[in-house]
Amino acid sequence: MKLTERQSDALSELINIAFARTGAALSELTGHRVVLNPPEVAVYRTEELSLALAKFVPGDVASIHQVFAGPVAGDALLLLNYAGAVHLTDLLTDGHKPSAYLDESAREVLTEVGNILLNACLGMFGNLLNVHVTFSVPRLHLETLDELIASTTTDKTEMHYALVIYTAFQIRDSSVKGFLVIVLSVGSLDRLIQEVDAWEAQQSK
Amino acid sequence: MNETSSKETLLNAAVLHWMHDLAAQGIVTTDSELNVVEWNHWMEEHTGKRSTEVIDRNLLDLFPELIERRLDRHYKWALEGQVRVLSQALHGYLIAMPAVSGEHGYSQMQQAVRVSPLRHEGRVIGTLTIVEDVTERVVREAELQAQLEDRSRLLSNEKLARNEAERANRLKDEFLATISHELRNPLNAIMGWAHMMRLGKLTPANVERAVETIYRNAKSQSQLVADLLDVSRIISGKLRLDVRTVDLIHIVNAAIDSIRPAADAKSIRLQTMLDPAAGPISGDADRLQQVVWNLLTNAVKFTPKGGRIQVKVHRVDSHVEILVSDSGVGISKEFLPYVFDRFRQADASTTRIHGGLGLGLSIVRQLVDLHGGTVTVQSEGEGKGATFTITLPFVGVISNNQESDGAQPAPNDEVVSFEGLPSLEGLKVLVVDDEADTRELISEVLRECGSEVVMSRSAAEALVALKEHRPDVLVSDLGMPDEDGYSLIMKIRALPSDQGGQIPAAALTAYARAEDRMRVLRSGFQFHLPKPIDSAELVTVVASLAGRAFKH
Repeated sequence: MKLTERQSDALSELINIAFARTGAALSELTGHRVVLNPPEVAVYRTEELSLALAKFVPGDVASIHQVFAGPVAGDALLLLNYAGAVHLTDLLTDGHKPSAYLDESAREVLTEVGNILLNACLGMFGNLLNVHVTFSVPRLHLETLDELIASTTTDKTEMHYALVIYTAFQIRDSSVKGFLVIVLSVGSLDRLIQEVDAWEAQQSK
Repeated sequence: MNETSSKETLLNAAVLHWMHDLAAQGIVTTDSELNVVEWNHWMEEHTGKRSTEVIDRNLLDLFPELIERRLDRHYKWALEGQVRVLSQALHGYLIAMPAVSGEHGYSQMQQAVRVSPLRHEGRVIGTLTIVEDVTERVVREAELQAQLEDRSRLLSNEKLARNEAERANRLKDEFLATISHELRNPLNAIMGWAHMMRLGKLTPANVERAVETIYRNAKSQSQLVADLLDVSRIISGKLRLDVRTVDLIHIVNAAIDSIRPAADAKSIRLQTMLDPAAGPISGDADRLQQVVWNLLTNAVKFTPKGGRIQVKVHRVDSHVEILVSDSGVGISKEFLPYVFDRFRQADASTTRIHGGLGLGLSIVRQLVDLHGGTVTVQSEGEGKGATFTITLPFVGVISNNQESDGAQPAPNDEVVSFEGLPSLEGLKVLVVDDEADTRELISEVLRECGSEVVMSRSAAEALVALKEHRPDVLVSDLGMPDEDGYSLIMKIRALPSDQGGQIPAAALTAYARAEDRMRVLRSGFQFHLPKPIDSAELVTVVASLAGRAFKH
């Protein structure tokens, strides 16, 4: 399954609305202007995911993972490489000196940030599809990319797709790259794309 | 409802009750209007509010601070179905509670909070809040972070120190290699020629050449040793200045005179611009001459044949400036900052074109520093010459009890010539030294100038000779076995004047430190002659002790 250019543009625009909300929320929370770069969107089969992401996140990955359920179900993840995760936490918490590792407080901050971002995106999808999705408690994991992909809750009998949203957090003259990965069943993705098409058609009227 | 499910419901209710009661976290449940439904034991304990006081009351009414701090939104979002995370680092706490122990500097309990929706049949019917006390964890993390920073700072300090030590070590190694080379070079010539002289197979012309070569090489080695001694005195802080009123122009002229032969040999033009208004100043005449001499020697060494060296002395406000510029090889930008470093030479390779230990300029800087002055260097780069500028404070002339030293001729030790030296005709000099070679050398020089010489090998012999020969002047070594020169002079000074108690005396010593000189003078000598003996200086001193003037 491939997104057409129009679909991709429309999806990016929708996600950007969620990003703007996230940026505003993080700015208010930290007292620093936080901006998320406009998203770049791509769709992969889950089998291809590890290959597609490996070049962006080598080594250990910090991920904030939330499972969502309802008429549209799947896994939502915010992915950062380990150094990026440490840096992002320092930037958000006014860490005076750069930390070497993620302590529990830092992991909690990342969990909150991931939670805000994933809620904003999934909330936006929920509104678009006019469905209520329920979320699990967000959890932070530190593991390799392959371990992470293997841990997603998707039913292996059904074909799944991953919506990969590439962005970067801009804070205090620094930039931290990150990925949002939303793993959906083919049915859920179809439904999402139909709604995106409809929204796009409505916008262009 | 069948029996099993009703039993299960009862059991669940009992478990929930105990969980609420036993939990080590705060648990708050509200309905969809945010009215409190559950308020567990932990919350009672830490907020001081009994569950009976809060149940059925609205959470935001109970804690209006939640609205002020805009945390009520999290409940709004929870009611919309979102799970919310409130981290300690970004929020501090949800509901203000005193910290369990204030010892760690937090008066408020630091909290990590989760707020989640409670659903029934797809609808959100309330919220659940879990509050965790993370104060101790936060304190521990901060301590750990500080420790890590300390350690990394220590590590980087240690690394710096190690690098510095390694660098110093490398410089010392290079220096040792240079010093062995430089000391061995003249030694080779000395040994070689001396060996041939011992074999007696040299023609008279070659003997002359041999002596000349040996003398020249011994001289250069003696300069190396003098430099080394200076450096070690400077390093150990033992170098003291003999500060007097000195005539800078005179000193510069003396230095120029002493390097003139070397400059002439390379057809280097020496230009001088010496402003007589620049002197006198306050300083150590010998050391200042050494400074100028070092700069000039350097200039000669690094200036090719037919080049030019300019020496300029003038006054600038409250300073006197000495400029030595040359048209020599210049100094590269990279090396410029290290010019005055000890043991540093631009070319540390074994095949260096220019000899020397690389100590001269370091000594220059140290000596100028001791005079309260500065020395700087400018060079446009390699092949473009260099200019050294010494700035000395013009202190004005403080007329102290010491005589002006400037009028004294600086020892010109380039060429041994007995011409122009005062005559010692009719004088009787007692020479005391346990070393036969030195004794012979001194005697030879003195005899050459017309003096009669009596030699003694020890203090005891000298006392006998003093009575027997009634010499006019005493020249005595200081370091002798059994009885040293200090003891000898004290015994002599204790004698009545008709037995030679007032004989003018000069001491010979290898230690040319200022404090040695003081001791020499205090013990009863009038003069101090550093070893190796400079013939001209020896004769001049003996003549002066005997009250003889220069013969012109």
